[in-house]
Amino acid sequence: MPEVQSDDPILKQSYANAILVSSFLLVLTLAWALYQEMFGLRPWRFYQTRFVAAYSKYLEGQKPKQKAAEEAIVKSPEYKSLMERIEAAQKAAESRAQEIRSELAYVDRRNSALADTFMTERARIAALVYQTEISSSESSRKSRKADVDEARNTPLVLDLPTRDGKTERKTLTFPQLEAEFTGLKDRKATLTGEQARLSNGIRDLQQQAKAYFEDRMVGLTVSQLGSLQTAAKKLDPVIRQINVGSAGLVDRCQSCHVAMDPKVVPANLVLTKADLGMAKSGDAPFSSHPNPELLKIHDPDKFGCSGCHGGNGRATNSVENAHGRYEHWLWPLYYKENVEAGCQSCHAADMVIEQATVLNRGKELYRIKGCIGCHRYEGFDNEGEQLLSARQTIRTLEQQKKDLELNVPRVIAEADHAADNTTAQSLYQKANDMRVTTSNIDARIEQLDHRNASLMREEKKIGPSLKEARMKLRKEWIPYWIEHTHEFRPTTKMPQFRLTKDEVQALAAFVWQNALTGPVPAKQSPGNAEKGKQFVETRGCLACHAMGEGANAVGGTFAANLSRVGEKDNFDYLVRWVRNPRERTRPYDPIARVDLGPEDYSKFNKPFVFDLDHDRSPDGKHLLQVQLPTVMPNLRLTIEESRDIASYLITLRHAGASYPPAEFMDDAKLKDKGRALVKNYGCASCHELSGLEEEGRIGTELTTEGSKPIERLDFALLTEEAKRGEDPDGKKSPRGSWYDQKGFFEAKLKQTNVFDKGRLTAQLKMPQPGMELPDRTALVTFLLGSVDQQLPQEYIYKPGDARHDIQEGWWVVTKYNCMGCHNVRIGQQSVLSGLPQYQGDTKDKLPPQLIGEGARVDPAWLAKFLENPSLSTTDTNRNGVRSYLAVRMPTFSFSDGEVQKIVRFFAALGSQSMPYMPPKLEPLTDAERTMARDLFTHPAAPCLKCHATGVPAHDASASAPNFLLTRERLKPAWSYRWILDPSRIAPGTAMPSGLFRKEGDVWVFNGQLPASFKGYTKDQADLLIRYLFQLTPEEQRMLVGRSPAPGGKPAGQ
Amino acid sequence: MKLRLPYAAAALACVFALAGCGKKEEEATKAPVSQPAATPINPATAGIVSGSVKLDGAAPKAARFKTDADAYCQKLHASAPLVSEEVVTGEDGSLANVIVYVKTGLENRTFETPKDAVVLDQNGCQYKPHVVALMANQSIDITNSDDTTHNIHPTPKNNRDWNKSQGPKAAKITDAFAREEVAIPVKCNVHSWMKSYVAVFKHPYFQVTTTNGSFQLKNLPPGDYTIEAWHEKYGVTEQKVTVGPKETKKIDFVFKAS
Repeated sequence: MPEVQSDDPILKQSYANAILVSSFLLVLTLAWALYQEMFGLRPWRFYQTRFVAAYSKYLEGQKPKQKAAEEAIVKSPEYKSLMERIEAAQKAAESRAQEIRSELAYVDRRNSALADTFMTERARIAALVYQTEISSSESSRKSRKADVDEARNTPLVLDLPTRDGKTERKTLTFPQLEAEFTGLKDRKATLTGEQARLSNGIRDLQQQAKAYFEDRMVGLTVSQLGSLQTAAKKLDPVIRQINVGSAGLVDRCQSCHVAMDPKVVPANLVLTKADLGMAKSGDAPFSSHPNPELLKIHDPDKFGCSGCHGGNGRATNSVENAHGRYEHWLWPLYYKENVEAGCQSCHAADMVIEQATVLNRGKELYRIKGCIGCHRYEGFDNEGEQLLSARQTIRTLEQQKKDLELNVPRVIAEADHAADNTTAQSLYQKANDMRVTTSNIDARIEQLDHRNASLMREEKKIGPSLKEARMKLRKEWIPYWIEHTHEFRPTTKMPQFRLTKDEVQALAAFVWQNALTGPVPAKQSPGNAEKGKQFVETRGCLACHAMGEGANAVGGTFAANLSRVGEKDNFDYLVRWVRNPRERTRPYDPIARVDLGPEDYSKFNKPFVFDLDHDRSPDGKHLLQVQLPTVMPNLRLTIEESRDIASYLITLRHAGASYPPAEFMDDAKLKDKGRALVKNYGCASCHELSGLEEEGRIGTELTTEGSKPIERLDFALLTEEAKRGEDPDGKKSPRGSWYDQKGFFEAKLKQTNVFDKGRLTAQLKMPQPGMELPDRTALVTFLLGSVDQQLPQEYIYKPGDARHDIQEGWWVVTKYNCMGCHNVRIGQQSVLSGLPQYQGDTKDKLPPQLIGEGARVDPAWLAKFLENPSLSTTDTNRNGVRSYLAVRMPTFSFSDGEVQKIVRFFAALGSQSMPYMPPKLEPLTDAERTMARDLFTHPAAPCLKCHATGVPAHDASASAPNFLLTRERLKPAWSYRWILDPSRIAPGTAMPSGLFRKEGDVWVFNGQLPASFKGYTKDQADLLIRYLFQLTPEEQRMLVGRSPAPGGKPAGQ
Repeated sequence: MKLRLPYAAAALACVFALAGCGKKEEEATKAPVSQPAATPINPATAGIVSGSVKLDGAAPKAARFKTDADAYCQKLHASAPLVSEEVVTGEDGSLANVIVYVKTGLENRTFETPKDAVVLDQNGCQYKPHVVALMANQSIDITNSDDTTHNIHPTPKNNRDWNKSQGPKAAKITDAFAREEVAIPVKCNVHSWMKSYVAVFKHPYFQVTTTNGSFQLKNLPPGDYTIEAWHEKYGVTEQKVTVGPKETKKIDFVFKAS
């Protein structure tokens, strides 16, 4: 009996369940793997399916509207008449076309019937002629000739088709046959030509009709919609990618953002969320690019998507990965509010970029808020660096020159002893060349020296010079200001430092004790505050400065809000400042590093005089800094006007404002502590301080801050909170984790010491900049765009042509806030034009708009004007061109380099080539001169009523510039366009339109003409321009004498 | 689709009119074809707002203009100098050149644009009249009766701006303003003293006062209105009125001389 093993696993145990479960799991895993493979890792498949549905629906929905639009055009009388004309033309052409066709057929039939015979005969005769020509004997030639004649006269019998389809038998000799053949050929050519002319007329009409339709049809036609629908239906869910080999970009963004693929959605069709019925959905994956204009200049096939937007273009497995929003991707997709950061990658050298208002604002803030004081940024405020490099170049050049000069005598000596004349000649030539080279080096050094002087003019500081603190400021106010900066003036560019009471006192004491003590500004008598207020409101101060606090502030934000100036400033100093803001108490010698006083000048028996014309140290050795490093220009006011303005400003104060006495300001013991603090906090970055002129920047360079690895941004004890998406105040962050560059910049700018949380030592010293959210967003955008460039060099926007002049010019134009007074580019509005006093009919009291300025003025004149806008050396208290405007074009004391940049900038903006060669105008004939004079003084052409003439009584009511400026100032082509339609150049101008009307090809004066014009057929606007460009003072005086006679009769003869 | 609603409203109003008094039903349904149908007003229930405008206090002495910039103007006014029309008063301080108009209360209605043009003449180096009011898109004919060249330069806030030259006794310039605006300053850059105001309305309920200071806004459908009075120097002042059917409401405006 077999022993039964009761615990035999084979009998007792079964793995069936385990296997069942396992196989079940295996199937599940397989299904999961398959699902992942098909869909999970390919989320874009869903996107494409969703898109096709929404897109098809949209296209279908468009049909009725587009159909109606199409019909409206087709039914329009113009289109109908075009169609009728086409039909008529076709009809008219049809019978003739029919005739031509049948005639052509006949010609072809007849031609082919005789062609063979003709060719054969022609060849045979040609062969006989050849034989004749090569015959050696006279007799054989004769007999051959007879053969030829015979051949030519032998009648040939041919069956030729006739027009009516029958055949006629003709007997022709060869010459007759030849005539018939060429006749047919000519006939064919004539007929084909006529046929082409007939169809050309029709084709022109058809093209007209097509153009008419296309010009008026907005959006797609029904048939176009239909073909798009068909294409959409057939759309395969595939990965769509842009591969830009040269830039290493592989962007698969279009796999989900299908509408961006021009093969799917044509470039001229703009899809919005609302169009696709997704207005309420949070994301907008299917909208087309909101700014198609940008794509035109940044072709996605060249720039990809991530080139501008950031993100990880290769990733396709999830939205987070594709957008690069994970910890270690250095270029995450920019959020919407920072999207312009992308422009910075290639446009870092541009101060102003069209269409990038947020980024432009960020760059502007970086400069005017003084970030640049502590944080170096490539391209910003680098006059100091340029000074160094210019000095270095000069040294190198001087060395080169010295070497050459040493070599010249050697070469000459060698030539003197040369073996033959040829060698000697070439050596003398070489010596000459070397001498010429040294002369060229001199020229370069001279230029660089000049550049140095320029750079010293260009170097500006963000804050006021504190060397002047004792002259300018109320002593007790200084510590209050340091401690309560933003309380006193919330809009100031000076940041709020976090200081202890002791530190405040030490800083203030140092500033006070370190400042210059004299010579003090001249004592001034009080002026008329009422008049001063008017000056402030009309001279243009408000283009940069604001008056009034908080919501009542009116004016620009470029410079300080002047609401409480009276609480802090010294009246005498203020008068000096208003009169000439660049005036220093003492000139500064940058080589000797001292502020020079009268005592230094008297050592050399020289008067204590220093200005731009006296800018050498009394020993004549060094170039001095003779101006205060402020961008505030000189308004060329009289001393009385300056007193009036200062008297007004000094009244601007809070009622009962008082400051506690500050004896500690004179405590000598505080000075050293103060100096250490000033160095620690980098005060000298923004302010001029005696003894600290050469202090460097104290902050991190930010040129590539946006691509700094996240580990190097010190989130300190907030690292975990940031990763968790918890804001510093403990609340949940709206966008989840903020552990990225954007999060860091935002948190830091909002609260500069936020990362001090929990830190006991080495507190952060960056002060609080005091900016509202939109400004912080602008700065964050700028910083995020400041990346270490991944794109190849050729992508960086470095134009070499006129666009480079525009690029460079913007730095100057924004530096001096030209846009406070002027509209410089299309779409931009000046600060002044927004002020209440320039609304409605006072608009023409505004400074001139400068769009197209390059086309208007001669660049040489502009340069002269920028240097001295009064255009006079004696009568400077006025505007040189628009003397009738209260608002004043100030003197900026630009460096030569800046003048050149501005001039070239305007030339480039106005599409003008440089250098400018004034065109030669056709001289006036005597008759033309008489006519121009008549027209000029005609009552119907009141030119001289508005335009200044130099006669004071008349100019008091003038409202336009003097014509005498024309020749030197204006360009004829612009002037011509201007008088024809000034509102097209400057909308709202006081100069009326409609002075001329077109008659045939020429413009004629729109009004009763003087008698002398009888029979004149040339352009009258052109006549007037030619006259203006040769106007002399004598001529103008004569014109003024002939002022329009009353009663509408033409003046003069 | 857009056109149907006003038509429906018109038909409905017609039915009420029929039920109410049973006459003149035909006129209400006639709407112009080219523009949105005007909301019909039942003359049987329409009311009137009338009153006068006065200046409280003595009118400032009118400034004299210096016209020597143009010999023609100077000669014209050699004996009687040209004076400012900024403040013109009649008896008892009645104030002229005030525009009285309905400011609110007509938002849901549309009105027919009058076919007749308003005329603004340049005559004697002055604009005549000094203040003009018209409806949006109504033509304004600008004429020059002077033997000198003027330019017409409206400086609007909400309308398109333009500036045209007009020679001595030249052909009229016809233009129109598309948007409501109170009031557009019009000036002549050649003759800096010349100034006029053009007020543009979406409705016909406006009037410019003369030296008797009175105004009458007729044919107003019953409803609640804000009536505003505008003066170039003294600004605006408003009053609220409720006009019942066939009611005549009297309101007076007083500007303080300052």
